[in-house]
Amino acid sequence: MSIAWKEIKKNKMRFFILGSIIFLVSLLTFIISGLANGLSQDNASLIKDLPSGYFYMNSDAEENYNLSRIDHSVQEQMVSKHKDAVAFSIEMGFLNDESDKQRSVAFVASTDSRLFESVAPGEIILDRSLKKEGVKVGDTLTLKPFNEPLVVKRFVDQKKFSHAPVAYLNMEDYKQMYRAEEMQLLFIPGENSTQNFKGLQSFSNKDFLNTIPSYSAEQMSLNMIVWFLIVISGMLFGIFFYMMNVQKIGLYGILKAIGVKTSNLFKMMWTQMLFITILSLTLSVGFSQLFNKVAPEGMPYHLTNETTLQLSIVFLVIGFIGATLSGMQIKKVEPLQAIQQGEV
Amino acid sequence: MDIFTIDELRKTFTNGDMKEEILKGINLTLKEGEITALVGPSGSGKSTLLTIAAGLQPASDGNISFNGHNLTSMTAEQMRRIRAKKFGFVFQFAHLVPFLTVQEQLDLMLDVSEANMKKEKREQEIDYILDRVGLSHRKQAYPSSLSGGEKQRVAIARAIIHNPQILFADEPTASLDSKKSKEIMSLIRYLTKTLNITTLMVTHDEEMLSYVDHVVKMSDGRVV
Repeated sequence: MSIAWKEIKKNKMRFFILGSIIFLVSLLTFIISGLANGLSQDNASLIKDLPSGYFYMNSDAEENYNLSRIDHSVQEQMVSKHKDAVAFSIEMGFLNDESDKQRSVAFVASTDSRLFESVAPGEIILDRSLKKEGVKVGDTLTLKPFNEPLVVKRFVDQKKFSHAPVAYLNMEDYKQMYRAEEMQLLFIPGENSTQNFKGLQSFSNKDFLNTIPSYSAEQMSLNMIVWFLIVISGMLFGIFFYMMNVQKIGLYGILKAIGVKTSNLFKMMWTQMLFITILSLTLSVGFSQLFNKVAPEGMPYHLTNETTLQLSIVFLVIGFIGATLSGMQIKKVEPLQAIQQGEV
Repeated sequence: MDIFTIDELRKTFTNGDMKEEILKGINLTLKEGEITALVGPSGSGKSTLLTIAAGLQPASDGNISFNGHNLTSMTAEQMRRIRAKKFGFVFQFAHLVPFLTVQEQLDLMLDVSEANMKKEKREQEIDYILDRVGLSHRKQAYPSSLSGGEKQRVAIARAIIHNPQILFADEPTASLDSKKSKEIMSLIRYLTKTLNITTLMVTHDEEMLSYVDHVVKMSDGRVV
C-alpha cells in the first residue's frame, strides 16, 4: 500500500472535504454545461442534428437565410449531381388549434430527403413538445395568416429551431402558402470541402449556425459562463491542492532528510490528486446524468458524453497543474529547515 | 578503524555584506562502532557541524571522507543515496510521519533504503528492532497515541532499521525528561554497540556523556 493511500486512509476527513469541493464545483460545471447545451439544442437542434456537410445560400442574402433564394436551375443541378443534397426553407410562423389557441412554430419544407421528414399535402409533422401541450395526431391545425387547414400526421423527437418547435410542411403547400417558387437553402451532407457554385455562398454546419439570428449571441454568453466556471473551478482546484501540500512542507522536508526521492514525493502528491479528482468526477458525472432524469419537464438540459469527457479531461489537467505547481514548493524545501522547525 | 574523517571543514554564512564564519577549520575522525559526542555552548557550531557531516547542508570549504569517498564533491542525488542507505538520523524531535503506524514508519525506511527484502524478512526485521526498543506492543499505534519517549524510541528504530554505518543524532534527548533521556541514551548505546554502528551526536547535557566513547568540545567554531 503506497504512502499516498495511507495518508488518505488516515486523514479521511481532510480528503473528504477536498473531494467534496471538487465534486460540487465539477457538478456545477457539468450542470451549467448541460443547460447551455440544452439551450443550444433548443435553439437549433434541427440544424445541429444534421450530419456535417455544407450549407449554401444566395450570395446576395448577406448571410441571412430569410433573404436567400436558390435559383431553381441551380437547385436542380445540385440535387441531381449529389444524391443526398436537399433544398429546404425555414419560416417562423403560427399554428392555431381547434380552440383557436395560437402556437409559435418554425415551418420547415424540403425536397425529398432522408434528412427531413417527408410530408403529404395537407398534412403536418410536429415536434413532440407540442404533443405535451395537448396537440394530438389527427387534429386539424390552421396555419396563420393563410388559414390553411393542416392535419397532424405524427410527432418527431427534439426538432427545434430558434427555440420554437419545428413543423414539417409539404414543399408544395409551403410554396403555395408563402408564394415562394424557390427554396432558401441547399445542404450537401458528407462533404469534406466546400464547392464553388456561382452566386452561392457556402457555410459549414458551425458557420451556418452562427448565421441564425440570436444563436451566436446566446451561445457566446453561455460559453462564456461555462468557461468562466471552468477557469474558476481550475483556480479553486489549484488553490486547494496548493494549500494541502503547503501544510505538509515540514513532513516533506523530513522525508527528504531520511532519503526519500523528490520524485517519489511528486508521485505521492499526483496519486492523491488523481484519486480524489477521479472519484469526485465519477460522482459528479453520475449526479449530472441523474439530473437529466429528474430535471423538470421542459427544462432544456443536454449533456453529451463527449462534453462530459472533455470537461473531465480539463478538470484532470487543471488538478494536475495545480498539484504540480504546489509541488514546486516540495522541490525547494530544505530538509534542514524542516528539521529546525520542530515537530510536524 | 577510521570510517569518517572531517578535514579543515569551514562554514560561512553570508547575510548581505556581513559574513559570519560558523566553523573555522574543523578536523575530526570517527572510529567504527564508537560513539562521539559534540559538546559546547550554544552557537559553538556543533549542530552545524553535525548537519554538514550528515549531508543536510553543504560546507563552504574542507573535505569529508566516508569509507574513502569524498562527500563534499558528491551530487545531491549521490548524497541522498548515501543518506538513505548508509546514514541514520535521530533529531531533537521524533519527526515521525503522522499518518503511518509504528510498523509502517519502519517499513517506509526499508523502502527508502532500497532494502531488497521479502515481506517475511521485512516483518522479522521490524519485529526484531521493535523488540530491541521495547515497542513490540505498539506496532500498530499511530504517533499521535505515543508518549514523547515512545516517539523517540520509534525514531531510533527508524534510524537503524536499515542497518546504517553511521547514526547522526542531534540532541536526541533534548525534548525528554531526565529519566527518559537516560533510557534513550542507554538504548542508543546498546543498539549501536550491538549493531556496530558509528555514532556522532550533539548534546548539551553533561549527564549523557557517560554513555559515549569520545567527547569533542567545541567553542566558537573550533574544536578545543
